[in-house]
Amino acid sequence: MGIQRVFVTGIGIVSSIGNDEASVAESLRELRHGFAPFVQESVKTPGNVKLAGTVKGFDVSSPDFEDWTLPAPYRIRRDVLRSLPPHGTYVHVAMAQAIEAAKLEQADVSNLDTGIYTSSAGSTRLLYQNSKRLHEVGPMRCPPTGIVSSIAGTLSFNLVAQFKIRGNSCGFSSACASSGHALGFAYDDIALGRQKRMFVAAGEDINDESLLPFAGMRALSLESEPEKASCPFDRNRNGFVSTGGGAVLVLESEEEVNRRGVQPYAELLGWGQASDGHNVAMSHPEGVGLSEAIRRALRSANLDAGEVDYINAHATSTMIGDLSEGRALKEVFSNEGHSPKISSTKALTGHGLSLASALEASILSLAFKEGFTPGSAHIRELDEEFASLNIIRETLAEAPSVALSNSSGFGGANVTLAFRKV
Amino acid sequence: MSNEGIKPKLAQTPPDESADEQLKDTLKRCSPETIAAALAFRKSGDVELVPTVVLGIVERFLEPDQVDTLRNGDDSTKFMEDLGMDSLTMFEAIMMVEESLGVSIKNEELWDLRTVGDLKAFISSKLTGDPVESKAKFYPIEEIAAIMPQQTPFLFLQTAEIEGSKATGTYEISGKEAFLEGHFKGNPVFPASIMLEALGQLGVFHFLKTESEGGANSIFFTGADGVRCFRVCKPGDTLELSVELKRTREPMVVYSGKITVKGEKTAVADEITLIVAPEESE
Repeated sequence: MGIQRVFVTGIGIVSSIGNDEASVAESLRELRHGFAPFVQESVKTPGNVKLAGTVKGFDVSSPDFEDWTLPAPYRIRRDVLRSLPPHGTYVHVAMAQAIEAAKLEQADVSNLDTGIYTSSAGSTRLLYQNSKRLHEVGPMRCPPTGIVSSIAGTLSFNLVAQFKIRGNSCGFSSACASSGHALGFAYDDIALGRQKRMFVAAGEDINDESLLPFAGMRALSLESEPEKASCPFDRNRNGFVSTGGGAVLVLESEEEVNRRGVQPYAELLGWGQASDGHNVAMSHPEGVGLSEAIRRALRSANLDAGEVDYINAHATSTMIGDLSEGRALKEVFSNEGHSPKISSTKALTGHGLSLASALEASILSLAFKEGFTPGSAHIRELDEEFASLNIIRETLAEAPSVALSNSSGFGGANVTLAFRKV
Repeated sequence: MSNEGIKPKLAQTPPDESADEQLKDTLKRCSPETIAAALAFRKSGDVELVPTVVLGIVERFLEPDQVDTLRNGDDSTKFMEDLGMDSLTMFEAIMMVEESLGVSIKNEELWDLRTVGDLKAFISSKLTGDPVESKAKFYPIEEIAAIMPQQTPFLFLQTAEIEGSKATGTYEISGKEAFLEGHFKGNPVFPASIMLEALGQLGVFHFLKTESEGGANSIFFTGADGVRCFRVCKPGDTLELSVELKRTREPMVVYSGKITVKGEKTAVADEITLIVAPEESE
């Protein structure tokens, strides 16, 4: 069997800008952000973070999962809920959406040729609670699902069991590039004929424990105005706005797409990755790892740089990260005379860490399907570093033909995915 | 329960208001009767209240469609088979029982609690200090497969219980057994010889669990007397196997055996003889 082509046939999105395809598309078209005041649950903790990309309709703030509520029509059984982290509810719902969008039957979901790759940082909230309880009352009074609901592989254990997945499964952990790696390796599995179908599922909590440590890193914006707080490429960008949520993509081989007779959202053409080898928490100032990841993605997808007409940038709205990416994009594209359209949808959604790449790949798939190119919001004064790049400020009423999606994680892990309109 | 925050250990004596509040919080999703019974138990220590508390806690963990099964059932209602609880839900329920009644239950004790009656009797005896009535010990397939020399596809025992010199067990004919293709063509009938094998395997399991000194032995089938079959068994039937140890005379072990299906007499064997060969030393 030769290399199989790989298609996106279903997506599921629970995000700050909407919990279904229609509302996410509308938010992107109208450049409507998903930020709301962030109110710390512990008033005793000193803090100055004012905004977060909140997930609407879900209430998973209680330390007791039996208090959690989901928006209609979604319901999760108690014995499923008890082993989920708070963000597990978002991802569970996104899985249901993706299965429906891809028109998958139970037999398509549960067989040896269908696997799942996940990414999630785990739940620091539940880790903290369980550790505290462990020291206070001992292990025999700790919830028996405490580990599986909190550690980094939590989405894999839960989704494999709950959706009866029988193929490859594994969790990916490379910070903000995690779900990019998950998508890349899922692509490889299908392209090489190891699996016919892969789910890629990602999610993150949004609460004190998951969000506030990034303020300690000086990575978060402390602004209270959303337009100033999340403004990738703007001269006055000052950090990212954190978000939670869940995103799921269904990837399938061309054979499966033809057999089932479904209309794909997009084709995943290939991917590339490379590392900075530079600093534990900051991107290389010249974007050396990212520019190489982009080149490798182009090679993998058999594309010339000039064929790319849109790039969904990682651009979180931090001073150093955006600059580094801008230089990588100049290096590969504008210095070579190419001017693909560029935007960062994080201006609207916020930055979802290990969720980011899967969320943006879902958004990109939706853009291909619905026929638009999302614009970059909240730029009031473009940083002149990005002046030679074609950064689009409005959503365009036409889908790109070929697009890239970038992600970069701590320690300089960079992933680029290449998609084509079908 | 579960992902909840810290609650200090319950004060055992004397009961005070804050301890009562903690107990109410622990039991917050239980029925008012359950909470009232737990509070009353804390004051009086009356073990008559235990079933109300225990059943109330079990009910709180059930899906809505299982509640009637518990309410209409009796002490023989099984947690897993009848109420759809899995082992994790059992842990959750037991932890709440422990917190509410001030008892502690060991893991190995937990495995034996299969029915509502088992749990009530167990908790009562814990609280009164009376010895727990000895009962049949249950073994799931994992434990059976771990010690049996026979293995899939030639293991015809899925569950087993041992009580003294007797053992009972079950095997559900799936229809996927390879030999059914030829026995008979187009008409799958479970062979009588394999029924006898299943009884022999139950004897082997009993021997390994009770009589064997733990040394590695080889066990072989050596004879069967007084074998009669009364019923044809087909895919979907569950063989209810039972054996009783008749005598042990080294190296022979002799059992009698019986099989029923839905209580209906299916096969008997007056004597099933196994020979136990000590491990060959080089």
